[in-house]
Amino acid sequence: MSKPKVAFFDFASCEGCQLQVVNLEEAILDVLALVDIVSFREAMKEHSDDYDIAIIEGSIARPIDIDRIKKIREQASILITIGACAHLGGVQRLGNQWDAEANKVEVYERHPGSEITKGDSNPYFAQIKHRAVSEIVKVDAAIPGCPIDSDEFGKVLVALLTGKKLPIPDYPVCVECKKNENICVFETGGFCMGPVARAGCGAPCPTHGGECEACRGYVDHPHTQAHAEVLKKYGLSPNEIMTKRTMYNYRDFEDKGGD
Amino acid sequence: MKIISKQDFDAFINALIQDESLDVEGVKAKGDKFVFGPLDSATELRLDYDVTILPPKKYYLPQYETMMHFDISTGKATAPAMDTKKVIVGVHPYDLIAIQQMDKYFFDTNVDDIYLQKRKNSLLIGVMPAKASEKAFYGDLMKDAGTPELHFDLMITDLGVLYAILPGTPEGAELLQRATSRDAQPQEIEAAKNKRQEAIDRATRGLKVGPKAWHSLLSNNYMSSVWKEMSDQCLACGSCTLVCPTCFCYDVNDEVGLDLNTGVRTRTWDGCLLRDFTKVAPGEIFREDIVERYRHRINRKGKYLPDAMGFVACVGCGRCSSACIPDIADPVNLINKLAEATMDTIPDANVGHVPEKSDLGIVASDSLYIPRTATIRRMMKLTKTETFFEIGLDDGQPLGHVPGQFVEVSIYGVGEAPISVSSPPGGNTFQIIVRNVGDLTNKLHSLSEGDKIGIRGPFGTGFDTEDMKGKNILFIGGGLGIVPMRSLIKYVLNNRADYGKVMILYGCKDPSELLFKDEIAQWENTPGVEMHRTVDTCAEGESWDGQVGVITTIMPMVTFDPLNTIAVVVGPPIMYRFVNRDLLNMGMPEENIIVSLERRMKCGVGKCGHCQINGIYVCKEGPVFNYKDIKDEPEAFQ
Ligand SMILES: Cc1cc2nc3c(=O)[nH]c(=O)nc-3n(C[C@H](O)[C@H](O)[C@H](O)COP(=O)(O)OP(=O)(O)OC[C@H]3O[C@@H](n4cnc5c(N)ncnc54)[C@H](O)[C@@H]3O)c2cc1C
Ligand code: SF4
Ligand code: SF4
Ligand code: SF4
Ligand code: SF4
Ligand code: SF4
Ligand code: FES
Repeated sequence: MSKPKVAFFDFASCEGCQLQVVNLEEAILDVLALVDIVSFREAMKEHSDDYDIAIIEGSIARPIDIDRIKKIREQASILITIGACAHLGGVQRLGNQWDAEANKVEVYERHPGSEITKGDSNPYFAQIKHRAVSEIVKVDAAIPGCPIDSDEFGKVLVALLTGKKLPIPDYPVCVECKKNENICVFETGGFCMGPVARAGCGAPCPTHGGECEACRGYVDHPHTQAHAEVLKKYGLSPNEIMTKRTMYNYRDFEDKGGD
Repeated sequence: MKIISKQDFDAFINALIQDESLDVEGVKAKGDKFVFGPLDSATELRLDYDVTILPPKKYYLPQYETMMHFDISTGKATAPAMDTKKVIVGVHPYDLIAIQQMDKYFFDTNVDDIYLQKRKNSLLIGVMPAKASEKAFYGDLMKDAGTPELHFDLMITDLGVLYAILPGTPEGAELLQRATSRDAQPQEIEAAKNKRQEAIDRATRGLKVGPKAWHSLLSNNYMSSVWKEMSDQCLACGSCTLVCPTCFCYDVNDEVGLDLNTGVRTRTWDGCLLRDFTKVAPGEIFREDIVERYRHRINRKGKYLPDAMGFVACVGCGRCSSACIPDIADPVNLINKLAEATMDTIPDANVGHVPEKSDLGIVASDSLYIPRTATIRRMMKLTKTETFFEIGLDDGQPLGHVPGQFVEVSIYGVGEAPISVSSPPGGNTFQIIVRNVGDLTNKLHSLSEGDKIGIRGPFGTGFDTEDMKGKNILFIGGGLGIVPMRSLIKYVLNNRADYGKVMILYGCKDPSELLFKDEIAQWENTPGVEMHRTVDTCAEGESWDGQVGVITTIMPMVTFDPLNTIAVVVGPPIMYRFVNRDLLNMGMPEENIIVSLERRMKCGVGKCGHCQINGIYVCKEGPVFNYKDIKDEPEAFQ
């Protein structure tokens, strides 16, 4: 069996997820034994348009992105997204609260330093509402997280190559947090999205004293109402609850008809 | 009882830490809470703690535990290497009780060798609590259920400037010889006793119904509106089960390395509050509503395990209430709420909350989890989705099953699945019929004759062929239900003289799903066998000479004396309700109806908890049940 050819592509993102792949370090050699990487801007100069597996980072932010992702989909037999930007639209999706055109004016015409871009009709500046990749083309596997977890990247690759279901759990982050024997963020005056967020990350944020922001999206059936009650009980205002919820999951808000 | 000064105690602990053959774990501070963890020095040890975030169950059933290492190319699995012997310092009595309960559970029927090995390879040093957490109520429990005989190697009581230490086992006494100590004087023994009483008195929270009466309270209130009222606030986060010292449920996963060849089969804590806990391949979830899951947990503690094991599976540690953010998991609050509605509860004298002292001398026979290797001898595609496999164990032994039992089929790197044995007993090979619906079943379908797989079992209870002797037998099979039934049909036909009239009713979705066409033709032509088949639907132009309609439409086609006939009913969950209703209407006594039920399974041996129907473990007590015995379990035919 010849090794499948893999190409990486980035859209609107910080490239942190690709960096996580580079961070596989020694394990990258094992990955290279499984697949040929033919295009990976973060780690190599060469580029090829002959690939079987496309790995996509980033959200769809401009009209030209739509054409590009559709072309990639046509070429790839398997399309994998990596990270919250591609999976959910990323934090940048919060920009969807405003009109796309108004955002463009704000960034390229009004913002300090925009003198040189003002009035430019460059298609790179054109804006649409931010979209996740799966809202434009079919996605075969979405590796969630901001950034992705290198181990999970390896596990998903193994599952795809051996024809198994993706090893991405459908229980909340609290499960992994409890297994780590953490003090719950709610007990130390914080507010946590863990009860509705999809696990699989190993709960690094509460484990290191932070709050979970649900960067991996929600479980399939989040108990959102009960969770909102808890946030309220612990002292968050409705606005603050909304801010917590939408940070990474503005997609969910829009999907439910928010806007 | 021995007395030891605090300095000498520290020296004792430090000496244990220095001993390379021991791994000394004890209670340490974590922020303003406490956890069990490896001790670097005696000064870290906090015997004045109230409660730890996780119970010491993590040493015996770790959060993530390797069950075996496997190599896919050689088809071999090996047990993980033995850990260094552990000394666990500072276990409170309620956690000791929980460990005794765990022993009873993991040693029951099928001894869990992985658990046993960890358990034998450790010493427990208990301590009388000097503080109680705000949520603890072990005092309430002990006052009702009596002060127990605890299993510990050493038990420490803080007497102020001195520690009193009581050895509980010869190993404990031997360990204590490493310390400088003297015998306790009568007033010191008395002081230790008082400390114990103080500890019990401190941990009381006004529980209105004692644990001995929980069974009765919960039975009376299964349909109470309190469950829904509480569970509406539930996050389904699973925390209440994960932190509980008496929740033992686990999930099993295969992890394969990037070499696509070597890997580990692991188990990890699971819990009945999580949505996937009862999910089976076609997507059905047996406890889908959160209220069912919420109710299950408390019933398991107060009713199901008392029924099965004789102990109330709550030790009053209060961890679940501390962990539950909406604060709905507290057993005291819940029991008191239910008690408001019904106070007329009857205590059950046979239920305690501490099982007898654990017998660690017990020996596990074989590895409970490492499968035997087997070879696929013959494969035959039966329908679009079902394939027939004939399998031989590589050790040449017959499987030794009875009709109705199942095996766990294992493929390293993919996992395991429970599959019914479809051939009658006897012979050096056995047969299974598998529908491809998910990871394991798909992989199985991609294999070829001569390929190796793993087999555990046979497991479960089969059909009672003795009891059926002399009676007419009415087989009613729906869909894949014919698969386990075929083992019994063939057995009965092989022993024809022992049984009366044989009637077989078989229904499936459409003609293309009909299994065993040739055998069915044979059965139809066997004298003394009456056979009827039906399909739910038959497309235009498809050839079909049976009936059309659901299975209940062909039931009136057979006549029999209901008092002298045994009905064997196997099919999808929905079928039972209608078929059983019609059988009862025909005048068949409840005890003449035999069913075989399916639930999500992982371990197959009564440990992982997935297959529970209320308190019944289907893998162990079933899958074959007498309808009379199971009909009152609310979850059985819902
Ligand atoms: C007592 C018993 C006898 C069975 N006999 C047969 C049979 O003869 N032929 C047949 O084709 N199927 C049978 N099944 C159903 C079969 O076990 C499932 O189809 C199978 O587990 C699916 O596994 P998978 O890995 O392909 O699917 P996945 O969806 O990948 O399942 C993952 C795991 O979940 C558990 N699981 C999923 N579905 C079920 C289920 N329906 N029942 C129990 N556990 C499940 C298993 O541990 C499985 O490995 C039986 C089930 C039980 C409980
Ligand atoms: S810290 Fe967050 S993830 Fe952890 S248990 Fe609390 S709510 Fe759940
Ligand atoms: S804990 Fe929450 S925020 Fe942190 S990685 Fe996991 S899902 Fe993302
Ligand atoms: S149910 Fe709650 S109080 Fe009872 S043993 Fe479990 S965690 Fe402790
Ligand atoms: S079934 Fe249980 S042991 Fe298992 S998680 Fe539920 S209450 Fe705990
Ligand atoms: S801890 Fe509380 S919220 Fe979480 S599953 Fe248990 S009862 Fe529900
Ligand atoms: S307890 Fe594990 S399958 Fe029954």
